[in-house]
Amino acid sequence: MKILTSLLLFFFVSTSTLFGAQLITNKLISDAQRKYNTFAKNRFLAIRKKLIKDLKNANDMKKLNVVNTWVNYIKYASDKKVYGVSDYWATLYEFVGKGRGDCEDYTIAKYYILKELGISPKRLKFTYVVYKNRRGKRISHMVLSYLKVPKPRKKSDILILDNNNRLMLPATKRKDIVKVVKMINGDTGAKSKKWKKLEAGMRRKKL
Amino acid sequence: MTLFKQMGLAVSLIIIIMLGAVMAINYQSAKQDMIQSLYETTVNNISTLTNKLAEASEDPALLVTTIDSEFDSGYYKMIDFKSNDGKSDYLQIDNDPVKDVPLWFINFTSIDLETVSADVSSGWSMVGVVSVAGDTGIIYKALYKMFINLLYIFVVSVISAQIVLAILLHFVLKPLYRVQNQAEAILKNEFVIQEKIPFTTEFKDVVYGMNAMVKKVEDIFNKGNEAAQRNKELLYNDPTTKLFNRRYLMLKLSDLIKAENKANGGTVMFVALSGAEVINQVLGRQKADDMFFELGDIFKDVCRKYEDKVLARVNGTEFTLMLPNCESQDANTIAQRILTRFDELVLAHELNQEDVFINLGLYRYKPTVNIGELLTRADNALTQAKADEAIHMYLYEEKDDENAMGKEQWRNVIEDSIANNYFSLKFWPTLNASTKNIDHKVMTFTIDGGENKKYFYGDFIAPAINLGLVSKMYIVTLKDLLVKPHKELDSSICSIRLSNEFIKDTKAFEELSLMFAKHAKSLNFKLFFEVTDNFAINNTAAVKNFVDLFAKYGFGFGINTFSGESSDYTYLKQLNPQFLKADCAFLLDQSQDSMSAIQVVTDSLSIKIIATFVKTKEELSTLQTMHINSVQGPVTDSIQKA
Repeated sequence: MKILTSLLLFFFVSTSTLFGAQLITNKLISDAQRKYNTFAKNRFLAIRKKLIKDLKNANDMKKLNVVNTWVNYIKYASDKKVYGVSDYWATLYEFVGKGRGDCEDYTIAKYYILKELGISPKRLKFTYVVYKNRRGKRISHMVLSYLKVPKPRKKSDILILDNNNRLMLPATKRKDIVKVVKMINGDTGAKSKKWKKLEAGMRRKKL
Repeated sequence: MTLFKQMGLAVSLIIIIMLGAVMAINYQSAKQDMIQSLYETTVNNISTLTNKLAEASEDPALLVTTIDSEFDSGYYKMIDFKSNDGKSDYLQIDNDPVKDVPLWFINFTSIDLETVSADVSSGWSMVGVVSVAGDTGIIYKALYKMFINLLYIFVVSVISAQIVLAILLHFVLKPLYRVQNQAEAILKNEFVIQEKIPFTTEFKDVVYGMNAMVKKVEDIFNKGNEAAQRNKELLYNDPTTKLFNRRYLMLKLSDLIKAENKANGGTVMFVALSGAEVINQVLGRQKADDMFFELGDIFKDVCRKYEDKVLARVNGTEFTLMLPNCESQDANTIAQRILTRFDELVLAHELNQEDVFINLGLYRYKPTVNIGELLTRADNALTQAKADEAIHMYLYEEKDDENAMGKEQWRNVIEDSIANNYFSLKFWPTLNASTKNIDHKVMTFTIDGGENKKYFYGDFIAPAINLGLVSKMYIVTLKDLLVKPHKELDSSICSIRLSNEFIKDTKAFEELSLMFAKHAKSLNFKLFFEVTDNFAINNTAAVKNFVDLFAKYGFGFGINTFSGESSDYTYLKQLNPQFLKADCAFLLDQSQDSMSAIQVVTDSLSIKIIATFVKTKEELSTLQTMHINSVQGPVTDSIQKA
C-alpha cells in the first residue's frame, strides 16, 4: 500500500513538474536573468527556496507572516513610473522581475505565493480601502485580507497584509485604514476584465 | 459547359446567397442585441455607481477607491467622474487594444457604443457627473467567435449542400447522360436503342423520340443492305454455282492483278469442263445443276486460304479461278486436288470419266501484266492442257527478268532506305467535281536514294512484303509525314493507304500508338487512313483496333477498292468509315437499283463514295448523275486545267 501511495505521489509530482504547473520554473528563472539581471533571478530563486520550499510544512500564520515580510521588502513605485499608465495590475513575475510596484502588485504577489503554499484562496480577499498616512492624508489603497475564519463577524478575525506596514496585523489594530470600500475574491469568484487579463499574464508567466 | 455544371453552379449560387443572407442577418441581429444588452447593463451599473459616488463625494480618496473597485471588478472601457467644483475629477480608462481579435475584424465590425452619463447628487447639492462606457471588447470577441463559427457552418453547409446537390443531380440527370450517349452513338453511326425509359416526363419523351429515330435509320440501313445484296447477287453471281460471274471477274481483274502481296502477282486458272451435255442427258437438268453447285464448292474449298481470290463461272462450261498471292507450286497442288475431287464427283454421280472431265490451264502472272495478256496466256495454257490428255493440266510461268534484282539486293536497297529515310512522299489530289476543289490528297511514296536508286512503290512493295520490311518502311514514312513540315498539306486533308501487311503486324500497332502519342497533336492538316475493302471484310477486328486508335487522335478512316464483295455490309457499321473508294468501272457497272441500295447503306452511315480511276469526262458526268462528286484519276487533270 505504501509503495502504491509513494508511486502515486511520485507520479503526481513528476507530472506537475513536467507540465510546468509550478509557480516558479527553471525556465522562468533563466528568462528573468536574461530580461532583467541576476538580482531578479535571485529574487525568484529566493521565492522558490525560502518561501515555497522552506515554508512547505510551516503553519498558515508563519506562511502569511514570512510571505508578507518578504514581499514587502520589494520597493514601492507607482504604475505611472514603472509602466507609464495610471493603473496597471502587474503579474507576480513582472513585479518581482522589475523589483518595483504599487499596492495592487504587492497584493497580487502575496496572493499567488500564498495560494501556492496551500492557503485557501477563498480566505484571501483583495480589499479596496482608504488609507490615512502619517501626515493624515487619505489615500486610495489596496491590501490583501486574510480571513481567519471562513465567515468573519468581527474585525479581529481579519488579518491585513499591507505594503505600508511591514507587520501583518489584525484589522482591529489597523487604525490607519479608515474605510473599507470593497472586498473581492481573487481568481475564485466572478472574474472581471482585469482579473482575466491578469490570469492570462500569470498563465504565460509574463515577465 | 455541361448541363450538370450549369445546374450545379446555379443551385450552388442560390445556396451560397441564401446561406450568406441568413448568416448576415443572424450576425447583424446578434450584434445589435449585444450592443443593446451592453448599453442596458451600463445603464444599470451607472445607477448603482451614482449612489456609491454620492456617499463618497465628500472624500476624494474614497471616491477614487470606489471608482477603482468598480472599474476593477467589472467590464468597463471607461469611468469618468467630473466634479462640479473641479477638485476631485477622476478618470479610469482602459486603452489596451482588444486581444484575440484581428484588426480587420474590428474595423469591419465598427461598434459605436454610446457613453452613458448620469448626475451624482448628495442631498440637495449636485456633486458632479459620472460617464460610463461599457467594454466593447466583449462584443468584438463574442462577435468574432460567432463570425468564425458562422464561417465554419457556412463552409460545412456549402460543402454538404454541394455533395447532396451532386448526388441529386447525378440521379436526376442520369437519364440525360444516357440520352447524351445515345446522341453521341448516333453521331458515330451506331444504332443504340435505350432500353431504360426515364421517369422524368420530358426525358421520357426525348428517349422515345431518339429510339424511334435510331430504329428508323437502322431499318433503312438493313433494307439497303438487303437490297444491295439482292442486286449484287443478280448482277454478279452465277445462280447455279453461287460463284461470281464473268461480269464481276472482268470488273475485279485489274485490281486483282495489281494487288500488293508476297508472291508479287499470283496464278489464274482456267477450268474447262468437257461433257456438260452428257451430264445433262444422264442426270437431268436438276441433278446436273446440283453437280455444278458441288463443283463450285470444290473450288471454294481448295482455294479457301486465299483471301483475295475471285472464283467465277465465265460461261456454261468454263470457270476462272483468280488467285492473287498464289505461287506456281501451290497452284499446281490446287489443280491436282481439283482434278482428284472432280474425279470423285464424277464417280459419285455414276458418270463415265472418259466422257466427263476437266482441263486446267494455269498462268503464273506478275503485276506488270495487263488483262489482255493475262487472258491470252491463261487461254494458251488451257489449250496446252487440253492437248495433254493424260494430265489435263498445264502451267505457264514467265521466266524472271534476268535484269531483275534478287532478294538480297532488294534487302540492301530497302534497309538502306529505312536507315537513311530515302523515301520521298508524293501527294495525289482527289477532286470534288462539283466544287472543282481538292477534296483531299492521297499520299504514296517512292525510294529516292540518288542516281540509279529510284524506285516506284509498285517496284519495291512485293520485295518488302517478302522480306517482312513493310511495317518498318511505313513507320519511317509516317514519321516523316508527322514530324517534317509539308507545305502542300497545309490546312488540307491527307489520306494514306495502309498496306495489309502493316495492319497484320501487331508490333506496328504499338509503334504507331507511340508515334501518335508523341507527334499527333501538332499537325496542321487532317489525316485519313485507308485499308482495302477485302482486307477489312476478312480482318474486321484487327482493322477496328486501328480505327479506334485513329479516332483517339482525331484521324479519319476510309475504305478503298470497294467492290461490294461482302454478302453483308455490317462490317461498314462496325468500322464506320468516312468514305468508300470504288473503281469508276465498278460504280458505272451498277444497275440503278443496285446503286440506290448501296447509297441507302452509305447514306444511313454518312459514308461518302469516292470514285477512283476516272478517266473521261463522260464517266465523270455519269458519276455525277449518281450523285458521286468526289473523284480520283486522270480526269482530275482536265478538271483542274479547266
